[in-house]
Amino acid sequence: MSFLHPDFWIGVGVIAGIYGIFALGLQINVGFTGLLNFGQAGFMSIGAYTMGMLVVNGGWSLWAAMPVAIVAAIIAGLLVGLPSLRLRSDYFAIATIAFAEIVRYTFQNAAFAGGNQGIIGYDEEWRRFAAWLSGRFAALGLGDNSQLPLFFAVWVVFAGCLIALLLLQRSPWGRVLKAIREDEEAAAALGKNVLAYKLQSLGVAAALAAIAGFFLALNVTYLYPGEFDPTFTFFGYAVLILGGFASYGGIALGTILLWTLIEGLRFVDLPLSSGQLGSLRFVLVGLVLVLLSMLRPEGLLGRRAEMQQRR
Amino acid sequence: MTEPAPQEPILVIEDLHKNFGGVHAVAGASFVVERGSITALIGPNGAGKTTLFDLVTGFGAPDRGAVLFEGRDISGLPPHRIARLGLVRTFQLTRVFAAMTVLENMMLAGPRQPGEVLIRLMVSARSARHAEEANRERALALLGAFNLESKAADYAGTLSGGQRKLLELARALMVEPRLVLLDEPMAGVNRVLGQRLLDDVDQRRREDGTTFLFVEHDMDVVMTRADRVIVMAEGAVIAEGPPDAIRADQRVIDAYLGKARSR
Amino acid sequence: MVAVAILLAVLRGPVETGQATLTGLVAAGYFALGAVGLTLVFGILRLVNFAHGDLLTVGTYVALGMAAAGLPFWAAAVVGIAATAVVATSLDYVVWGPMRRAGASTLQTFLTAIGLALVLRYTVQFFAGSQVRRVGLDVVSAVNIGPWHLGTLQLVVMLVGLATITLVGLGLRFTILGKQMRALADNMALAEASGIDTLRTIRITWAVAGGLAALAGILYASAIGSINPNFGVTILLSLFAAAVLGGIGNAYGALAGGIVIGLAQEWSTLFFNPRWKPAVGFAILILTLLFLPRGIFGRKRART
Repeated sequence: MSFLHPDFWIGVGVIAGIYGIFALGLQINVGFTGLLNFGQAGFMSIGAYTMGMLVVNGGWSLWAAMPVAIVAAIIAGLLVGLPSLRLRSDYFAIATIAFAEIVRYTFQNAAFAGGNQGIIGYDEEWRRFAAWLSGRFAALGLGDNSQLPLFFAVWVVFAGCLIALLLLQRSPWGRVLKAIREDEEAAAALGKNVLAYKLQSLGVAAALAAIAGFFLALNVTYLYPGEFDPTFTFFGYAVLILGGFASYGGIALGTILLWTLIEGLRFVDLPLSSGQLGSLRFVLVGLVLVLLSMLRPEGLLGRRAEMQQRR
Repeated sequence: MTEPAPQEPILVIEDLHKNFGGVHAVAGASFVVERGSITALIGPNGAGKTTLFDLVTGFGAPDRGAVLFEGRDISGLPPHRIARLGLVRTFQLTRVFAAMTVLENMMLAGPRQPGEVLIRLMVSARSARHAEEANRERALALLGAFNLESKAADYAGTLSGGQRKLLELARALMVEPRLVLLDEPMAGVNRVLGQRLLDDVDQRRREDGTTFLFVEHDMDVVMTRADRVIVMAEGAVIAEGPPDAIRADQRVIDAYLGKARSR
Repeated sequence: MVAVAILLAVLRGPVETGQATLTGLVAAGYFALGAVGLTLVFGILRLVNFAHGDLLTVGTYVALGMAAAGLPFWAAAVVGIAATAVVATSLDYVVWGPMRRAGASTLQTFLTAIGLALVLRYTVQFFAGSQVRRVGLDVVSAVNIGPWHLGTLQLVVMLVGLATITLVGLGLRFTILGKQMRALADNMALAEASGIDTLRTIRITWAVAGGLAALAGILYASAIGSINPNFGVTILLSLFAAAVLGGIGNAYGALAGGIVIGLAQEWSTLFFNPRWKPAVGFAILILTLLFLPRGIFGRKRART
């Protein structure tokens, strides 16, 4: 496949969009509330698995299962946050990773979730919708790439979530989160219930993770638990640090940049096996994380001025 | 909950104790603060004044004793509940939100904003917006009273030390408190700004009936501005009364000199 | 622990309990040694080193590589341990030192550690491939002690592990270096004021942490018989569990914690399917964080 073949990049675009939605959730926790949520992949898997199980085991409609799955993820966020938000930030981070791993482990080993076999067959209704959408695209002269509907859907949803978060951030509610990130004791001394706000922030992040999970499930068409490991969350943080910690819009750039970099490697002419290329991508992401957090901690697009005020 | 009679004290401290790993920071402190008064809390370093402030405002629970605010026991309540009941504080080292603008600092403190409740915000955005507008106007007016409106759009971190103190006080007043605890409001502030701060305090007291309790080391300020003075030493109250009486009180002199001698 | 052991013996019979206990003691070795490095670094630098698991991986792969190249196993192990110590210390020169001086935030150090973890792990995978590899040692012969049996190799691992734990414990207590490390972990400002060369002690701590991690990895590989580049990360949470349980920052605690985790995971097989073993580690981690964040021996503040 040549470098500029659109089919390939549409596929990459889907992945980038999924990580974008995932990272929007991280952003509200990390960039705007000051919470080090490292369990985001766990919320994602709860969303995806709940949807999958409701459709496949329960016979639900896909469109009805999704809102319920989002609620399930939000509840998980609240349950995780309630006991662990009083821990200091590094312990909280470890607790969230432990939670995400327990979730992964449970799905991997429990019969009701299909174990390592995963879940399959939930995307019937989506495929019908996608086919219809494809027809529309073809009519508009956009070609007939099978991934185009998903690409479109992911980025439309991303844009919607982005706008919603921007509005939230500019609202009084968002202002409280910002104050909590700055100095939670001072915020409490002014009458703000810090724990309640942190829980809400976590809940919103979990909802976004669930939505990202739906798209992931539809993209790979079969759910298996290994997908939702901490490395997924780490990649999400890489997107975050590339896009800047204080900007939601930067996430779009961050995820596109990251995935162009990662997938673009395929076309660089290196005498390496595909396994080695695969390892190289991870090394690259690791280097991005190390170099940026050492040298440009506010992220590529972050605002230095604001970061400096916080010192 | 019946409204307490206007003459009843707004704050009652009853036999408060707080122990930190062997150090008895507050050891049986008791006093009252009259509604509508400007009361000063003084004492040598280590007397337990800031710890007392912490206990009163919910940053720590007393081991023993009670804190009654408007007749209601608030000891052990979390800080945000106490603030909502009308008791706010400022901090010794100012804690303005440096990476937020001055106006944002103020508007944050506005009480009962529907826009701050997530569900309300999503369900009725319009009423949230109206409330936000009213909040903004109130914030700007209050900033004006403190001569800080020109700074409204600047990051609070760019303010001078004295301006930050003013901002912190203005912000505290946004909460519509009935009692304000000021922890060393004069520390690090130049004379002019300091006098303005005190003038504002006086004005609030006269116009709104807000009660003020402040910790201060500047005796000039204490003597000229306070209606009553409470003296703490080694965790307990050793004297209370009008400034003139305290100035001449032998126990007070001993406490301060005693500290100097034992150093 | 002894009480628990007796209880289990009553519930499940002494033979099975004893067997599980023996296997648990094998695991205790590598859990404890892995956890000590983690806790020392946290205690002194307040750094949650997510790359620690991958230090185990690096050390083990270097050792196996040397062994494959013809070195006798013990020599290969020494090379692996030394190499990891060098890597760990170099990272302090290149990455951690500068970040300390710049006053990095928790988020920054977390992301850096994660990035390093990825770099280390996937560099290993780049050269060694991602497939599961056999360790190539004698895993068949076994020893019988009464009604219990244990692989000879596993017996060796257990003995080496327990011996090293004892040595480390003694070293921390009685050597000057050990005392310095503990002083630094307790109160860095005070240690500096009393004349301890903090930078040198920090670097040596990294070397020790790296070396012990490598040894832990080698023991693990020997006991299990096969490895893949992800194994360090797989047991990392169990190492955290051991460190937090023992009181993070407290090296003796980490040793004790490792023993507890090792035994707990094996004892759990008396009741549950063995594939839930790692979940026992995670569960202990979460429960400890939520209910006893100081751990059993710890003194550090864990709540905000």
